[in-house]
Amino acid sequence: MQATTRRHFLTTTTGAGLAGILATGIPPARAQQREITYLCWNNFAPLMDKKLAEIAVRFTKDTGIKIRVDHINTEQQPAKYASEVQTQAGHDLVEMRMHFPWLYEPQLVDVGDIVADLEKKYGKVIASATETARVHSTWRAVPQYHGMFVATYREDLFKKAGLKIPDTWEDLYVAGKELKKMGNPVGIPINQNLDSISTAGPVLWSLGGMEVDRDGKTVRINSPATEQLVEWYKKLFRDCMEAEVLSWTNASNNESIQQGKAGWIHNPVSAYIIAKQKKLPTADLINHHRTPGGPNGRHETDVPRHIGIWKFSKNVEPAKEFIRYLLGRPETYNEYIMSADAFNLPVFEKLQDHPVLKTDVKYAALRSEGVQYHCYGWPAPPSDKVQLITNSFILPIMLAKAVTGTSTKEAVAWADREMKKIVAS
Amino acid sequence: MAIGDVGIVSAPRPVTLRNRIRVLLDREQFLGPMFVTPALILIVLLVAYPFCMALYFALSNAFIGRPSHLVGLRNFINLWDSDAFRQTFQNAFVFTGTAVACKLVLGISLALLLNQQLWFKRLIRGAVLLPWVIPTALSTLGWSWMFNSLYSVVNWTGIALGIMHPPGPNWLGQQYYAMTAVVAVNVWRGLPFFAITILAGLVSIPKELYEAAEADGAGSVARFWYVTLPMLRPVLAIVILFSTILTFSDFNIVYVLTHGGPINSTHLFATLSRQIGLESGRIGEGAAISLYLFPVLAFVVYAQLKFVRKEA
Repeated sequence: MQATTRRHFLTTTTGAGLAGILATGIPPARAQQREITYLCWNNFAPLMDKKLAEIAVRFTKDTGIKIRVDHINTEQQPAKYASEVQTQAGHDLVEMRMHFPWLYEPQLVDVGDIVADLEKKYGKVIASATETARVHSTWRAVPQYHGMFVATYREDLFKKAGLKIPDTWEDLYVAGKELKKMGNPVGIPINQNLDSISTAGPVLWSLGGMEVDRDGKTVRINSPATEQLVEWYKKLFRDCMEAEVLSWTNASNNESIQQGKAGWIHNPVSAYIIAKQKKLPTADLINHHRTPGGPNGRHETDVPRHIGIWKFSKNVEPAKEFIRYLLGRPETYNEYIMSADAFNLPVFEKLQDHPVLKTDVKYAALRSEGVQYHCYGWPAPPSDKVQLITNSFILPIMLAKAVTGTSTKEAVAWADREMKKIVAS
Repeated sequence: MAIGDVGIVSAPRPVTLRNRIRVLLDREQFLGPMFVTPALILIVLLVAYPFCMALYFALSNAFIGRPSHLVGLRNFINLWDSDAFRQTFQNAFVFTGTAVACKLVLGISLALLLNQQLWFKRLIRGAVLLPWVIPTALSTLGWSWMFNSLYSVVNWTGIALGIMHPPGPNWLGQQYYAMTAVVAVNVWRGLPFFAITILAGLVSIPKELYEAAEADGAGSVARFWYVTLPMLRPVLAIVILFSTILTFSDFNIVYVLTHGGPINSTHLFATLSRQIGLESGRIGEGAAISLYLFPVLAFVVYAQLKFVRKEA
């Protein structure tokens, strides 16, 4: 028998191996173990990312499916997602903020089966998450948690000046005048960022106004409610705030109250959580109350976050299995929510009074009775046009124009023209 | 046998692959293209292909992940209806014009200074390059803290020196101040490029020209005006050309400092393009915004290069 040489052995085995891969179309590693990837945002509650990593390890142990979790800054998400969609390659699972499922609708797998299972266990998905993750009657992403905008205020200052906790936006104006005199102004950004819309929206809704109507086509910004909104902002800017709010970013109001300057801000509870974690002196002085209301009720901006699966993924079933593992097992979901220290709360009706709200007395205000949660652009469906209106920051620019000298009518007319152009485009 | 018939005949080389390659490499018509090909492939893949894709997107109604079709120049025409775009168009010229002019004047001044006999000359020249070397996003983040309404070290210093009234300018919250801030950071970042390139030009000017001018009684201003500046013209043309293109397409500074605000007063083509194309999914319109000035810039490049060739 002819002896096998090293060259002969290598040639034969490589050829046979390649032939096998080409015939089956499956590389050997994949045939042995399934692997999925998840592109998640850099959570504003970093402990939740840590918990996610722990859960991912357990998932692999329990199911044999390997998972790699990558993280990305929230600012970089649009560019990254666009490149994955354009190249039809990238991660299997992606974290989707607010209206993203509408933007990427044709590229996302229908996940209605998972949502149906979750709703059986935890009750219906809350309205804001449904409005954003269910696109044209199909669930394009699975809602996982949400964080809403509430009022964060300096309890000590309110007590010292004998101020009433604002129940309406007019109450805030009354308290804000005193706060400014004390050197602790109200801090609401009026600039080109989403936090600015997060406050302007609820004030507008509480006055009965809206940007675009439910049909998604009729622009309704030119209304008496908007004029009232502008007038309210003008007097608040003049008597209760400082000009710095015109330059604020999403983080500025947090920094201002944490550093002891602002007396009242409108934000998710992150300002308090970070102050607590960093042991800042202001942590003990801060408390929360619900977003003020108006003649048309109390409305709050909500930021639901979902998980979607790209259609180009070759691992749709394992990806679904991971979502079921993370959100569908009550003990795991509970553990995941608890890790966020009330920054991210469950999106299912039966879980609204979650134990995380009892971990700190200052979370008592986060219980959601009587609150109407909405995302930007409500009540219009979050179509690409409504999202362009949001992303063009027309609402805060209108307010910035008005508080810096443009007449109310002129500012509103400008917003009306810009919105109509976008809707007609 | 006649002696004259005797010649030296070298033995023919055996026809092996190695020899064939050696012969090919000796031929200029083969060697030239071989050296150019890798660069050409890179240009096609990394410049030509993305450019053609951008051009296609700009002429189509492309939306992320959805089928698209060509719409001609509609995107370019419709953009004029947008107040934000018109404002951006104006901002781009104000930003570029002011920043390039400042960088030119300050760059020549700095280069003249660096050309003097200084102590620690090498160290200073190295230090001058720092703003150019540090990643822009990182250095701009530092500037955003310096202009921050709560912590502004600029205002703190101004107030301490008595040249600003408390609380000082709202750098990123008022339209003209915000434009001043983004221009200042761009100048800070781009100045080393001007200074070092002009310095290279200065060093290459023959000393004899200055000696002759001095012998003719020319003062320092006259020497600068009639010797230095004319000799620097080709270098200046190239530096201005590069800087104009880079400043027009600036993104990081505005994105980190102002996000285009306040009231769209600092938006540039790149930042608006991102807002429309990536954040809102309208890739077609986004590409049209980024390519809007391509014909103008192409003409500027052509004119400048023609000028440089003429000078040479």
